[in-house]
Amino acid sequence: MGLLAPWFLAGLFALAIPVFVHLLRRHITTPRVVSSLMFFERGVQSSTRHRRLRYLLLFLLRSLLILLLVLAFVNPFFRRTGRDKDALLLVVIDNSFSMHSGSRFADAKRLALQLVAQKPHSQQAQIMALGGQPQTLTQPTTDEVQLKNAVDDLQIGDEHASFAELAQSVHILAQSWTGPIHLHLFSDLQRTAMPDNFADAVLPANVHLILHPIGTSGRQSNWTIVNVSAPSEITDPSAPHTSRVTAVLAGYSTADSDKTVTLTINGNIRSTQTIKVPANGRLPIVFAPLDFGYGFSRCEIRVQGDDALSTDNTYRFAVRRSDPRKILFVHSPRDQRSSLYFDAALRAATHGFFLLQSVSSEQVASITPDRFAFVILSDAIALPPLFERALEQFISRGGNVFIALGLEAENHPKIPLWSGSLQRNTNFNPSAPAAIGQVDFTYPALEQTKPGPDKGGWGEVKILYAASVNPAGARIAAKLNDGTPLLLEKSIGQGRLLLLATGLDNLTNDIPLHPVFISFVDNAVRYLSGAGESSGARTVDSLLQLRPSAETASDKGGVEIIDPDGHRPLSLTQARITPVFRLTHAGFYQIHFANGRDAVMGVNPDPRESDLTPISPEIQSLWAGSGSSDLTSQEEFASANAARYQATTLWWYVMLAAFVVAVAETLLSSRYLGIQREEL
Amino acid sequence: MQRFLDPVVLATISSLELIARTVIDGFVAGLHRSPDFGFSQEFAEYRPYTQGDDLRHVDWNLFARTERCYLKRYEGETNSHLTILLDASNSMHYGFRAPTKADYARYLAASLFYLAIHNQRDAAGIIVFDDDVRDYVPPSTRTGQFYRLLAALERAEPRARTDIFKPLTQLHALLHRRGIIGVISDFYEDPVAVINALEQFRFKGNDVILFHILDPHELQPVLNCPSILRDIETREEIEVIPQFVDTTYKSRIQTHIEQLRARSLSAGMEYRLITTNQPLDQALREYLSLRKAGV
Repeated sequence: MGLLAPWFLAGLFALAIPVFVHLLRRHITTPRVVSSLMFFERGVQSSTRHRRLRYLLLFLLRSLLILLLVLAFVNPFFRRTGRDKDALLLVVIDNSFSMHSGSRFADAKRLALQLVAQKPHSQQAQIMALGGQPQTLTQPTTDEVQLKNAVDDLQIGDEHASFAELAQSVHILAQSWTGPIHLHLFSDLQRTAMPDNFADAVLPANVHLILHPIGTSGRQSNWTIVNVSAPSEITDPSAPHTSRVTAVLAGYSTADSDKTVTLTINGNIRSTQTIKVPANGRLPIVFAPLDFGYGFSRCEIRVQGDDALSTDNTYRFAVRRSDPRKILFVHSPRDQRSSLYFDAALRAATHGFFLLQSVSSEQVASITPDRFAFVILSDAIALPPLFERALEQFISRGGNVFIALGLEAENHPKIPLWSGSLQRNTNFNPSAPAAIGQVDFTYPALEQTKPGPDKGGWGEVKILYAASVNPAGARIAAKLNDGTPLLLEKSIGQGRLLLLATGLDNLTNDIPLHPVFISFVDNAVRYLSGAGESSGARTVDSLLQLRPSAETASDKGGVEIIDPDGHRPLSLTQARITPVFRLTHAGFYQIHFANGRDAVMGVNPDPRESDLTPISPEIQSLWAGSGSSDLTSQEEFASANAARYQATTLWWYVMLAAFVVAVAETLLSSRYLGIQREEL
Repeated sequence: MQRFLDPVVLATISSLELIARTVIDGFVAGLHRSPDFGFSQEFAEYRPYTQGDDLRHVDWNLFARTERCYLKRYEGETNSHLTILLDASNSMHYGFRAPTKADYARYLAASLFYLAIHNQRDAAGIIVFDDDVRDYVPPSTRTGQFYRLLAALERAEPRARTDIFKPLTQLHALLHRRGIIGVISDFYEDPVAVINALEQFRFKGNDVILFHILDPHELQPVLNCPSILRDIETREEIEVIPQFVDTTYKSRIQTHIEQLRARSLSAGMEYRLITTNQPLDQALREYLSLRKAGV
């Protein structure tokens, strides 16, 4: 129930008119002068009571008439969902990292609570959080207490908001909710939250989007460290090409200024630099050489000074210093070239962090693979049984093995560790070698952020020999143009088995002769040795693979994770079976893997959250589908919220009642006049 | 000429002398058409001269023939004294329409003075009172008496409260000769007390006439709704309902009038109720009837 024109309530002062006419005017009159009161008597009580009784009904009718007329002008209404009776009120609150700025998050919660309080009691509502992956906090319910508790309990996160993911979640919700959905988004509407492809953010047709921009008009200038290039692991701190940290300082909506950047290692300030940054510019800052102690070093690069979002002024990363790790390279007695190519590429890629120990397959029986970062079997199909069993145990405990199948595979159809025998061998005509047809660049060993048109360099590779293996249970990362799997991965126990269907020498292919071989070796070595997983920096909301797959979970060993707050986010059961863990908080995570390896990771907010520039009004209007969704002020918010529900006005009913009362008043007053005429 | 006796017309004339002259001229003109009333300057009798009489009234022709000194007297010529007791209290200030009771009373008094002095050659005097004797002009026939009386009437603006008994007590000491005493008042007092006070003059041989001046709205007040009434003298206020005015008030004031009339007659006094919308000839006829009755 409400009043559309409450200012007309001032018309209630008109009620004083009948009160004055019927009750007051009889008493408060200008005294009439008489010569003497000798023959008069006081008669106030009886006259007043008589008058009041006589005209009480008339007085009530007149007062009621005025009251109804005033109410008609005030235009009372009651909120009714009307045709939107089955509309779902979907309240989405942005709790992403950028909401740390100022009082954005508190404002968003306050406005959301206000919206929940104003909704009709019968309307169902649902609360969602936008930070990271959209999270449903409540199911559709009419329970306002539950809704308010959900809003109150919502905490701000360090994750990145994505309107594309919101649209995807709403699409899923719209499939289960047949009625209309009123989506109220309380967010700072960062430009970076909008996907590059606007179609990804388009909402279903039955969803009406109402935007509530929060803090879009305040201070927007912000400084942050958008990127840090630092070794995750280091063996020689004195080496200038490895022991350096390069940070990129960026300013958003900033003016020319001198900024001071500080590097701290384990809480101790090691270096401070002041640079002049142009407006909205970004500049690299190099800290070198650095002295790291053995073990994990927790490093922070901090931008001094205050800005709109002070929580992103620190970038965290971890560096592990250790001695060079060894890789066991087992090759066939006839293969002498592959180790040379691989070692050269390894030195070029890892700068001496790994040492390649090349051993013939005939001499490997007494070697224990546990001492090595991982094991490479280069065309070493025939292995001593003892070593083969040791490899099986090694891989089941979390060790990784890389197998390259060369010409030796033609003589030994059974591939060690790989279930299933060799299906066939294909020797291509040197004049018509096979090429690589498909490459999965998301696979860690082949990872390239922006591969070129030549398949990231793989398109020029010529394959002269390739073994065809059973791909069952394996992930195919690359294929030849004839469909033969070239690179496959299979999880065995806690470990991984990576299989290249061709050799590492220049007899079966020309891969070692191409630059892509170095990047492949680099990625493969880091992937298989787990070097990149034990230290470095991550972005909030990224996934950390705790074990190769869920099927490999066992009760023998669990994962232990300590988050930046010192809590263990995983229960004991989860620690045994969870294959993937989402890094949701900024800070340093400490992880102890099931295979016994330790890791320390610096987790930082997504740098896109540091750009506080909101979406342009045109895009907002386009997204909302109408121009009525930009609610920047309280009044606009309240009015828009009121308009959200169908206001059923009572004007006609009030006027009808006023008409009836007017007729009754006329009849009654005419009756009094008739009596007076008879008296005359 | 009758319209010149209308009080509403007289209220537009500021000069009391002109009012009195207009009234009397009109009044006398009316008398000529009346067979019942009249007076003349015809001879009435001789009276032996006594010491102190005015020598201008001696009939010298008769003295020449008889060597006896007689005074010649005419019909209508009296040596009566007209004394007007004029109530000038605040209650006389009331008037629903012009003229007010006070104005009407002054018109009446002026007319009586003019009639008495110029037509009857009586001595006329005035006593203006409210709660005390405010002004006193002794009766006289001297030249200029009429203007002195008019001046006293001009000064008789209503004020103060009415207390008729105190000035009446003082009047006993002022009036030495018998004559006609006209009391012009609204008589908002106890009729018994008023008549008792005036009886003293009657006992001394005076003819007393009570001119009871009331506004028509005092006799027939109109009250449509409960109203607050304020006493013009005491400033007291009370709320009165129309039903009371329509019934009880009217009966009360009629009783008051009847008591005044009855007790006046029983005491040998004349009583005339005059409303301010009545022509003045009613009062003048009353005076002349008394004058003709034997004074």
